[in-house]
Amino acid sequence: MTTTTTADLEKFGEDIDAAGGADKASEKVIAGKSPTRIALQRLRSDKVAMISGITVLLLLVLGVLAPVITHALGLFYTTTDPNAPLPSEVLSYDGFPSVGPPYYPFTWEHPLGLAPGTGVDNFARLLYGLRTSLAVATGATVLSTVIGVSIGLVAGFARGWLDRVISFVIDLFLSFPFILGALALAPIIVSRFSTNLDALAKAQVFALISVLVVFGWMGLARLIRGQVLSLREREFVQAAQVMGVPTRRILFKELLPNLVAPIVVAVSLSLPAYVAAEAGLSYLGIGLTGVPSLGQTINDAVNSYSKYPLYLWAPVITVMVLVLALNLLGDSIRDAFDPKTRR
Amino acid sequence: MRFKKPIIAATAVGMLALAACGGSSSGNGDGDKASGIDKEKLGSSGAGMDASRANGPVTIQGAKEGGTIKVLSNFGLNSMDPTEAYYQNTMSILSGLVTRSLTQYVYDEKSGDMVLVPDLATDLGTHNKDFTEWKFTIRDGVKWENGKDVTAEDVRYGILRSFDRTSFPEGAAYSNDYMLDGDKYKGPYKSGTDYAGVEVNGNTLTIKMSKPFADMPYWGSFPAMGPIPKGQDKPEKYRLHPLSTGPYMFSQYTPEKSLTLVRNPHWDPKTDPARTQYPEKYVFDFQTASTKIDQILLADKGEGQTTMTYDDVLAPDYREFQTQHKDQLVQGGSPLTAYWAPDYRKITDIKVRQALAWAYPYKDAALAAGYIEGVTRIWGTNLMPPGIPGRTEYNPLPGHEPGTTDTAKAKQLLQDAGKLGYEVKWLFANDDPQAVKAKDVIVKSLTAAGFKASPVATTVADLSTERANPNNNKINVRSGGWLSDWPSGGSWFPPVLGSTNLKEEGVGSNYAIFNEPEVDKKINDIQMMPAAKQPAAWNELDKFIAEKYFPLFVTGYGGVAMAHGSKIEGFNVDTAHGTPTWGNIWVQQ
Repeated sequence: MTTTTTADLEKFGEDIDAAGGADKASEKVIAGKSPTRIALQRLRSDKVAMISGITVLLLLVLGVLAPVITHALGLFYTTTDPNAPLPSEVLSYDGFPSVGPPYYPFTWEHPLGLAPGTGVDNFARLLYGLRTSLAVATGATVLSTVIGVSIGLVAGFARGWLDRVISFVIDLFLSFPFILGALALAPIIVSRFSTNLDALAKAQVFALISVLVVFGWMGLARLIRGQVLSLREREFVQAAQVMGVPTRRILFKELLPNLVAPIVVAVSLSLPAYVAAEAGLSYLGIGLTGVPSLGQTINDAVNSYSKYPLYLWAPVITVMVLVLALNLLGDSIRDAFDPKTRR
Repeated sequence: MRFKKPIIAATAVGMLALAACGGSSSGNGDGDKASGIDKEKLGSSGAGMDASRANGPVTIQGAKEGGTIKVLSNFGLNSMDPTEAYYQNTMSILSGLVTRSLTQYVYDEKSGDMVLVPDLATDLGTHNKDFTEWKFTIRDGVKWENGKDVTAEDVRYGILRSFDRTSFPEGAAYSNDYMLDGDKYKGPYKSGTDYAGVEVNGNTLTIKMSKPFADMPYWGSFPAMGPIPKGQDKPEKYRLHPLSTGPYMFSQYTPEKSLTLVRNPHWDPKTDPARTQYPEKYVFDFQTASTKIDQILLADKGEGQTTMTYDDVLAPDYREFQTQHKDQLVQGGSPLTAYWAPDYRKITDIKVRQALAWAYPYKDAALAAGYIEGVTRIWGTNLMPPGIPGRTEYNPLPGHEPGTTDTAKAKQLLQDAGKLGYEVKWLFANDDPQAVKAKDVIVKSLTAAGFKASPVATTVADLSTERANPNNNKINVRSGGWLSDWPSGGSWFPPVLGSTNLKEEGVGSNYAIFNEPEVDKKINDIQMMPAAKQPAAWNELDKFIAEKYFPLFVTGYGGVAMAHGSKIEGFNVDTAHGTPTWGNIWVQQ
């Protein structure tokens, strides 16, 4: 069955190539390429995609290597570290740092300055925040994609009552207020894990991912369902059904490969949305408190913004760059995968 | 007296306790130099009394009539029922502007202190020899906002209401503690108005005590010791519009949101020796973000020029106020002591409690929690803050400089006690970023001292409830703070260290759950002493308790740093409450 699929895809790709490229360069030799290969080729020649891709990769590396980098530079992201300087050693009487900005000149020891009130290094905190943001966003994206795709496949392929039930559930989740759910969950988790702060920090990460997933899978599920609805009427699916191929196989071997494009697009667009959502929830104080996060830093920095703008701008710009790069990359991927676009 | 709000109680108080102090004495003391706070007089809340200042009207030289003052605060108001008002903000607004009581405080320009003067009474009361009977004569010509006369009967009814702990759980309990049959009489709603302790004879009110109560004139300054109109005083309704006898009355009040006070036409300045009525109205706006308040006042434009706040300015904005807007900043003392109270039933070894005091990161926690050293956080050792008569500094930990941390010394003490690795458990609000920061530095310091630090996460909303539960097994240390109700040990030791009946009263304000019959007896003995001997005796007791039992350690005294727009005049610190001197405020026209 795999061969059928590949052949079919290649045919699909040729169709695309033929449709677009034929009139321009009809004399060119038409080579057989899969849609994925075509998409990758297009991405490689797309400057925006390359720049945003490199930016994302760079931020990813910074986030993943946060412990290594901070260790190498001798920076601390939390006051609880036994070697971290005490707040009273590095701060003035009003909580502002006594080295570096805003009142003292720039120093390479702390390129982004120190956090008021705690005296931890802003650069270290930024890296760890980036790490958290990316981890949460990736986790939430993977989970919500898996759930959304499975449910969408089933709903689209199953006619009748199952489709109606699933569609109703999707509507139900779509109508439930997301912020309210997150607000209600936060204090419950705190009271459940009040005495074990390590567990609390982990529970908050899982709760945040769960909240994002629970309220984030519906869009993709609907999209996939719509795609499946049209695909299942195609000849290759009907042929498989006539041959007696089991439903599971049809779903995952026949239909899923044809859905790669919408899934890749959905993933690339939901990543930045989750990064922004994590920052937003942490800013509201209903996200993470036990681990550093960009939203938390932004929330903290608002109080001293008029005196210490750098403290606010660093995490804001980081979130902005990350979200923008992911979005542009997502756009490019969508364009690359879409057979209808031509440049 | 309690802090502005349970929220504050949670953030600030909780944090206070969290935030106390530490570090090296040679640290960043710029704040000390910067502030104009006289650290010897933090709580000199009306140490003076002046019965001769009994008549109005009060005029302020150069003051102009008119103008609207906008008051911004981050904190909503608790019950505004005079009987129940026991928070800094509710008490100060009611006493300063709306309701009159037996006595009141007036700001003394020369000394900068608050002085106790008569209010509804013509003097500060006369007492019998052993302070068990007080007589107050209610003056003529005082009217309600509806034009009716205020009578001695109205005042009696107000006092009767102050016995009711069920209808007014937040109110102060001094009537129950000191007045005749205070433990049996439960207020007019439950026990009727037949009560022998308060008698009216014409204009004269006679109050009988169950034990000597020399501080009665101070208790008389509480809104609870004022008139209440019988028949119009349903607790759930009266708190929304307490009937005014002072210069301003409620015009519109949305709890937790806004309050508008307008002039009371029936207030006669001739009868009032302290209050004035210069501004046309006061508009209070609660739940305003602190950052926004500071920005409005720093910008000082348009309406901002006639805006004020009784919240402390934020630490990040303090330097700008201090250097560029000094005339808009009002700093002064507040009769507040913040402390950490190990549960006396659980942490039974005095060495562990002392080790905790050595290990506590005073300076770091204060910085993390947003306090300004030398301004809103001042180091000390006595439970009673400076300024209370008879107070002399003592140090229960030889060699310990207040506000400093020595984890090595703490470790040594723990080792001596054989309690290395002792688990310390305390509450912090996980949804308050500053509380979380303070928690982090405390954990670090306690760990370095050989404790096992186990902070217990809770939320701002639940913190005070969890702390007040005597059977909360998750914690063994409570952080607390107490503001004196009047400058005497009598408003410190009975509530903070007097044993409580845990079953009936709960923790109350005895966060240490301290219970020593010896101390209870000494408190009782001092209350029976002649008034002149009490101040020295309270101070002696302060020292005695700290040296023998060390039930708690002070994490810092409070101070206030409030701010106002450039067109507001006469804004000083009421050191009795740590709030503005409402009676002196007027607006430049």
